[in-house]
Amino acid sequence: MNILQQLFGSKNSADTAKQRLRFVLIHDRAEIPPGLLDLIKDDIIAALSNRLPIDREGVTVHFDQQGNESRVLVDVPLLNANGRRRKAERPA
Amino acid sequence: MKSAVITVTSGKGGVGKTTCAANIGSALALLGKRVVLIDGDIGLRNLDIVMGLENRIVYDAVDFVEGRCRLRQALIRDKRAPELYLMPTAQTRDKSAINAQQMKHLCDELRSDFDYILIDSPAGIEHGFHTCLAPADRCLVVTNPEVSSVRDADRVIGLIEAAEKGPAHLIINRIVPARVRRQEMLSTEDIAEVLSTEIIGIVPEDENILVSTNRGHPVVMNGKSPAAQAFHEIARRITGEIVPFQPLRSSGSILQRLFGRA
Repeated sequence: MNILQQLFGSKNSADTAKQRLRFVLIHDRAEIPPGLLDLIKDDIIAALSNRLPIDREGVTVHFDQQGNESRVLVDVPLLNANGRRRKAERPA
Repeated sequence: MKSAVITVTSGKGGVGKTTCAANIGSALALLGKRVVLIDGDIGLRNLDIVMGLENRIVYDAVDFVEGRCRLRQALIRDKRAPELYLMPTAQTRDKSAINAQQMKHLCDELRSDFDYILIDSPAGIEHGFHTCLAPADRCLVVTNPEVSSVRDADRVIGLIEAAEKGPAHLIINRIVPARVRRQEMLSTEDIAEVLSTEIIGIVPEDENILVSTNRGHPVVMNGKSPAAQAFHEIARRITGEIVPFQPLRSSGSILQRLFGRA
């Protein structure tokens, strides 16, 4: 995004279209409704938080697709003894 | 040569299936191939009017299937190419008037006389689509550079593969190069990537299409408009020729291009 685009608050809409299509096609192909991810996320938080100090707010769950392969990607940030995130920054 | 049944489909309506079928069929015929175009959209026929042959219909595909005429009587000869025929469909019947078995039989009857049998499938993924898919040797999926038609194309590609009629080939229709450059339209590369499907044609948005449809003259028949050129290239690729993809030409004046309105 260039400075002008940022100034005027417009976004590269072709890229937005591509990202949205990717998301929706992954779910269409897998026949998995997008809302199911939130339920899976709750299950993962419930299962892991019994055993590990996790940052509940930072947990992300999403489907990814490469070629004809789909997978679920889960990112669970851990907390240190002070209750802070262990990593200075989490992967985007 | 061995004949090929090619089904042109899309999922979403209004993306240019009929225009693509009419022009690709005509372009193949202009290459000297023996071509028949079958309108597969029973009840909503349009291939006849796009081809400019609507006044010549006496019998149609449903008449042949139901035994009211001979095969040749249901074919309309288009004299603008050496061997180009249209088989119209019925306008006052519904999709169930021809089933998959009957469509296969119809195509088998045509195989000995034609190199290419192009079927213009109805929009949607219901009965009419499956009827048109049944006889296909290969499928062309038409999409626009726009999220809803790309999503529907993905669904149709999945159904084509499930029916073991794949791999489908993609036609990206109505692309506006200037809008792709401004990153406000999906690029052909983006679409091919999200659909994991090979592109056989890229057709630019072209105002000549509306004019040619108004007149009933497919653009490939006269002139060298950007869309006509793209359809000629698709026809050559269908015959197996390797035709490199040209950089997209924008229509519009230099001033329009400078100011990004082309």
